Amino acid sequence: MDTTITSATPSKRKKGLTKKLVLSMLVVGVLPLLCGLLLAFYQGTQSIKEVNGASFQALATETTRKLDLVVSDELAKAHQLASHPALIQFLENQRDALGEVSQADRDQLFQQEQQAWMAKNPDLVQRITQGPIVSMLQQKIGGTYIDESQPIPLITRSATVGLYITDVAGHLIASVDTNPSYLNAQEEWWKGAFHNGVGKPYIGNVGFNQKTGTYTFTLALPIMDSLRYEAIGVLRRIFDTKEFFAPSIDIIRFGKTGHVMLIDSRGMVLSCPILPTGTFISDKQLIPLVTPMKAGWTSATTDGHGGEEASIIGFAPLPNISTITQESTGLAWHMFVWQSSEELFGPIQYFFKWITGFGLLGVGLLITLGYVASHRISSPIRRLQEAARQIGRGEFHEPITINTGDEIEELADEINRMKAQIESTVTGLESQVETKAQEFKYLQESTSKILDGVPDPVFMVDFQENIEYLNQASKERFNLTNAQTIGTSFFQLLRVDPGIQKRLHDEIKNVQTKLSSTSSLPSENSAPIRDPLVASHQEDLDSNRQELKLNDRLYRYRWFAVQTAPDKEPSAGLVLRDMTEESLLQDKLIHGEKMASLGVLSAGIGHELNNPLVGVIGLGEAIQEEAESEEIKEYAKGIVQHGKRMASVIRDFTGQVGSQFIDTQTPVNINEQLEKVLSATKSLVTSAQITVNTQFETVPPVQGKPHDLEQVFTNVISNSLQAMKEGGTLEVTTGIRDQAIHIVIKDSGVGISSSHLSKIFDPFFTTKTQGEGGGLGLTIAHRLITKMGGQIRLESEKNQGTTCHIIFPITESRTGSRKE
Amino acid sequence: MKRRGSGPFTSVKTVTFVIILLFSSSLPLGAESEIPGQGIDPATVTDYLVSIIRADRQVYTSDVVKRMQDQGIVLAKEDWMDKNAIPLPAQFLHRSSKIVAESGSGIRFRLISLWPIYRKNGPATPFERKGLEKILKAPDVPHRGVVTTGKKKFFQSIYADNATSMACVICHNTHPLSPKRDFKVGDVLGAIVITIPMEN
Repeated sequence: MDTTITSATPSKRKKGLTKKLVLSMLVVGVLPLLCGLLLAFYQGTQSIKEVNGASFQALATETTRKLDLVVSDELAKAHQLASHPALIQFLENQRDALGEVSQADRDQLFQQEQQAWMAKNPDLVQRITQGPIVSMLQQKIGGTYIDESQPIPLITRSATVGLYITDVAGHLIASVDTNPSYLNAQEEWWKGAFHNGVGKPYIGNVGFNQKTGTYTFTLALPIMDSLRYEAIGVLRRIFDTKEFFAPSIDIIRFGKTGHVMLIDSRGMVLSCPILPTGTFISDKQLIPLVTPMKAGWTSATTDGHGGEEASIIGFAPLPNISTITQESTGLAWHMFVWQSSEELFGPIQYFFKWITGFGLLGVGLLITLGYVASHRISSPIRRLQEAARQIGRGEFHEPITINTGDEIEELADEINRMKAQIESTVTGLESQVETKAQEFKYLQESTSKILDGVPDPVFMVDFQENIEYLNQASKERFNLTNAQTIGTSFFQLLRVDPGIQKRLHDEIKNVQTKLSSTSSLPSENSAPIRDPLVASHQEDLDSNRQELKLNDRLYRYRWFAVQTAPDKEPSAGLVLRDMTEESLLQDKLIHGEKMASLGVLSAGIGHELNNPLVGVIGLGEAIQEEAESEEIKEYAKGIVQHGKRMASVIRDFTGQVGSQFIDTQTPVNINEQLEKVLSATKSLVTSAQITVNTQFETVPPVQGKPHDLEQVFTNVISNSLQAMKEGGTLEVTTGIRDQAIHIVIKDSGVGISSSHLSKIFDPFFTTKTQGEGGGLGLTIAHRLITKMGGQIRLESEKNQGTTCHIIFPITESRTGSRKE
Repeated sequence: MKRRGSGPFTSVKTVTFVIILLFSSSLPLGAESEIPGQGIDPATVTDYLVSIIRADRQVYTSDVVKRMQDQGIVLAKEDWMDKNAIPLPAQFLHRSSKIVAESGSGIRFRLISLWPIYRKNGPATPFERKGLEKILKAPDVPHRGVVTTGKKKFFQSIYADNATSMACVICHNTHPLSPKRDFKVGDVLGAIVITIPMEN
């Protein structure tokens, strides 16, 4: 189990550290790389867009200017043609001629001529398609006429598919072919160019021409009179759109797909190297983007050529021509410059691929180098970890040697130092522990020996009332061995009556709970001190010093609580003291003392009886000698008095002695007993000149033997009287104080010194001279009072007199009996 | 097509109309008969007209163009239609001339020069050329006369047009198409030609 833990955990951690280091290297290295790459790609794309957009815009603008010039030039050429003086003169004459004919005649004439033209009337055809004006027109188209200063480019001549002139009313007057209509006054181009006689250049929209089968557009110019006052005719020139624009537009190619395209505001293609003229650009939504009246570029989602890929499109309107076309038809012409995205973004995509490749290579390198580097870092750390674990297990074999020359080496040195310190500390601690353990052992043995040395049996009982310990005395007393007793039940060992067993059981629990509730550690004051003067301890003392009869022997026992271990329930200790002999001796002594007190009483009685007896004897002798009857009567009277007195003495005495033989416990009147004792000691009192003051309150009787109480009072009062040989005052009071019967016997005698006061209840302790007392009086008094459930204590100071307090608690029965 | 600055044009048009009406209606009103030659002398009419044309252009030049340019609000440029600009004073006159012509009233006026920036503004007839040459020598005396196109007769007055401001001079001296580049303020740049038909 241990080996699996030590081998599995570090391998996990080892991987963790290496992985973390490699990861952090990757994060540090790859993240910026990726960010840089993406940023570079984004920036590259953006700048390609901007650069290309700007250059496309520039190209569109440039191309529009060029085209604008071409168209303007064509306009200028047409203008030149329209300004020919011969033509102007011809048309002025035509105008004047028409002015002379009435409207109706004119309409009729032209109706006829139109029909003739449609019927290809040779005369009419000849008149219109031949003649000086037509020759001039043909020269312009055919190129036979070349103006030295303004040569007409050949391309525009070949692109011309129609050229004709109308008069002021729109009638055809000259044409290079027979294609035109004869009446043109209602034609858009004618109205546009004639402009109500004011005249205005007109460029028409591109449309399909049925006659030529191509897409064409019209350029119409008014022919002004010689004053340039008003239009007198219109010159129309029709161009094949593709042929007109293609030489200017189709030649502009860049890259594989880059080209320019001319469209109008509707999106119709006028000229494009890819799309045929007359088609519309594929994406209608693109049209408003590329046909504003300002040059610019846009990034569109389609290319206008049917492709769906994002495109950069440069655009520009034809500045001058668009002014004319807008005034003529409302449409403007726009240049459109485009290159396919693939080609446009090809280089950056290629670059991106390369960079990605390099990036991946970099990542691979980073991982490899990172692994090597992290291994170099983590292996000494692992060794440190292993060393730390060994130290943790308490193994101090050899110092760690790491020569990395960095902080880890320093750390290893520190760990070595720490290891040495721990080693020395642990060694010191071990020896200390050993010493302490030995000390503990000695202490245990010595305690055991001390307890074995104690002659009284001592037991230790645990919480389950099993024997934990017993000393030599108990083994000998109860014929036990360690083996058979330790762990067995206390009550199996000591067979007692069930009632006593219950009492002992309660006492054990009481002792144990008292200790656990007051303090977990036994305090120094926990052992009860035998101080007879401290009333509050008396009960504890008594409860702990009970008597127990075992195997016909009387034991006084005492419980004490012992905490044997910090976490253990406290054990109860029991000390037994064999009181059999002592009890017998005490009984004998008491008996002796009783006899002695009887002697005192007898002496008192003797003394009492002696005086009247002497009187009786004297009077008897006097009677013998006296003859006179009167005197004899007198003497006899004296004898009777003395006899009566003696009888009363005897009556008192017999009453006293009779009570000695009452052995059962009865309610005893304290005041009566006191009175009895005081009267018995009257002779002593009288002889010693002692004043006796008594103050008796009605007190409830106490339960006991009347003789015992009498003896107690006799002993105490005798002591008091003996203490007042020179005379004094004896005060005897009874009363109830603090729910207890209080009896105070106070003398003004010699008192007791404080050194003697503590031993006053000890047996055979006496301050009296030989023959005055045996030193058992107070011992017996104490014993008897205690037996009756009361307390006795003495207060005294040397030469200050002595006060004896006897206190009986008022019990329910006593209260009840008092009431009775 | 939108007519920018229609305000001044409209005013010119209105004034012109009033003049025309006065002119055309004065014949029957003044003489209470239809005897030709009893109306106002056409030379007087063209004098009236040229004073209006000049005044309008003067107002535009000094009160509009100069103020706008001085305050840096907007510049007058030849390609004003494509830019955020206003027309040059000469273009102002061209445009009002066009509007007058399109109105169908019959009266025409235009600017001509011996050194036109655009060829169309050169003299169209020998009469105009002669007039331009004459007013160069005597700018205060307009060149007048009746001209014909075919059978149509027109009365023409040619008034000298001086470079009234520095702006006129700078433009004509710096324009790439200008054939003469040494004009000074006060020089005759060209002429205003007013043409009135002599018959209906």
